[in-house]
Amino acid sequence: MRGGDTADGASAHGAVGHGAFGRSGDDATQDGEASSDDLAIALAQVARGDEAAFRAVYDRTAPAVLGIVRRVLRDPAQSEEVMQEVLLEVWRSAARFDPAAGSATAWIMMLAHRRAVDRVRSEQRAAERELRAASMPVAYDEVADAVESSLERERVRRCLDGLTDLQRESVMLAYYGGYTYAEVAGLLGVAVGTVKTRMRDGLIRLRDCLGVG
Amino acid sequence: MRGRLMPRRVAWSRLGSLRLAGSGLARGLRPEGRRASGSDLHTLVGAYAMDALPTAQRAAFERHLQRCEQCRDDSSALREATARLAAAAAVPPRPELREQTVRAAALIRQLPPAVADEPARGRAARLASRPASAVRGRPWLAVTASAVVAVLAAALIALGLHLNSMQDRLTATEQRDTVIAAILTAHDATMRTAHVQTGGTATVVMSHHMRALVFTASGLTSLPPSKAYELWLMGPAGDTPAGLLRPGRDGMSGPMVVRKLAPGDELGLTVESAGGSRHPTSALIALVTLD
Repeated sequence: MRGGDTADGASAHGAVGHGAFGRSGDDATQDGEASSDDLAIALAQVARGDEAAFRAVYDRTAPAVLGIVRRVLRDPAQSEEVMQEVLLEVWRSAARFDPAAGSATAWIMMLAHRRAVDRVRSEQRAAERELRAASMPVAYDEVADAVESSLERERVRRCLDGLTDLQRESVMLAYYGGYTYAEVAGLLGVAVGTVKTRMRDGLIRLRDCLGVG
Repeated sequence: MRGRLMPRRVAWSRLGSLRLAGSGLARGLRPEGRRASGSDLHTLVGAYAMDALPTAQRAAFERHLQRCEQCRDDSSALREATARLAAAAAVPPRPELREQTVRAAALIRQLPPAVADEPARGRAARLASRPASAVRGRPWLAVTASAVVAVLAAALIALGLHLNSMQDRLTATEQRDTVIAAILTAHDATMRTAHVQTGGTATVVMSHHMRALVFTASGLTSLPPSKAYELWLMGPAGDTPAGLLRPGRDGMSGPMVVRKLAPGDELGLTVESAGGSRHPTSALIALVTLD
């Protein structure tokens, strides 16, 4: 297993277009590690009802929560509401966060993304989503042009550049668009099975490029 | 760089199974990962990590996750990648949302830690199964965590707007706050949502014991200034006005506390003139049975 790990890892890195892995990313990863650790500690304090810790968690995560919710929902007012719901859910279930199962950031972003997706689905705005789908290619540019440019954003963008077109489109439509894999297959005009594997492989490559997980 | 990773990362090095092979497909998936429900299920790990599975399939995959440690590790690792996608989309929230959220949190009872005999990894599946088990054979659900959170978020957004504009109403608002919290956390609190025919969703959290409910709505269609939404308690004894709603710019409305509920009452919503009416003068656009 370990041997395969190394060999496969090497080929994966080689496949990343811009060679971002292991370059400027190292420091960013270290920062990410440290802050993710802090966040886990803050969550433990939140679990004991610590309001100051909750403010810290809010400051650290609310922008990303709002960002991803807004990418999925589009509607700014509704997105603010969902962002608050997510942070309140974090407050409520902080004691259930399991550090062994992943980082605090990943846990909170999962709550955020899932809630946004569920909101979209429950409202079944089929017609509206058809319209959105028509303008979907915009999504990728939005990542590049979004308001606050940052090292992180730049790094993610470079890693996305390292995916194949189909992997990237599948990941973008699913994660930022909030579409199911079947919907993504329909939008891209490819087989459902193909989309499933592209989603998985795209995320694996993204993970390797970002040096996370 | 790898050497500086935190210890918990060691577990994830097993993700060798998910490294890309030359073919672009993962190689060496552990047989255990496949045996339970077939390789097709395991292929879904990417879609799962992006919440791109239809709801029913998500539940099935989570059942699979409980049996497949490798799959849990894989999906955790991919969640780390998606979290970075979220971070890359970050936008600063409006500053006032922070204190609103903190204020709301103070009203929410926190969950205790998972008990020892429940594997923490089963957390998601356990939470997911809770609403279904709470069904009591009628449309009411015991108030679920996220329902309380959703209602409170709606409530606090409304309260926040209120506080900003009317400082002298603070005491009244605080009192209402307390009543809302009491209803939402009542031992017999139940929730129902209803579709508003003209657009939007109404959410009612009710305590039979307190004979009171909290009403909120979201996504309401905006009305001309001459009109308002009006709530009605509609019971055997007739219709009683239960409050005027003025949706904010985002179609959010409430929270509205309605008290003195009587057996057989239903909660209705109509559009009336801005000052309200003594009796409903237009068709019901939402009706919630309260028994």
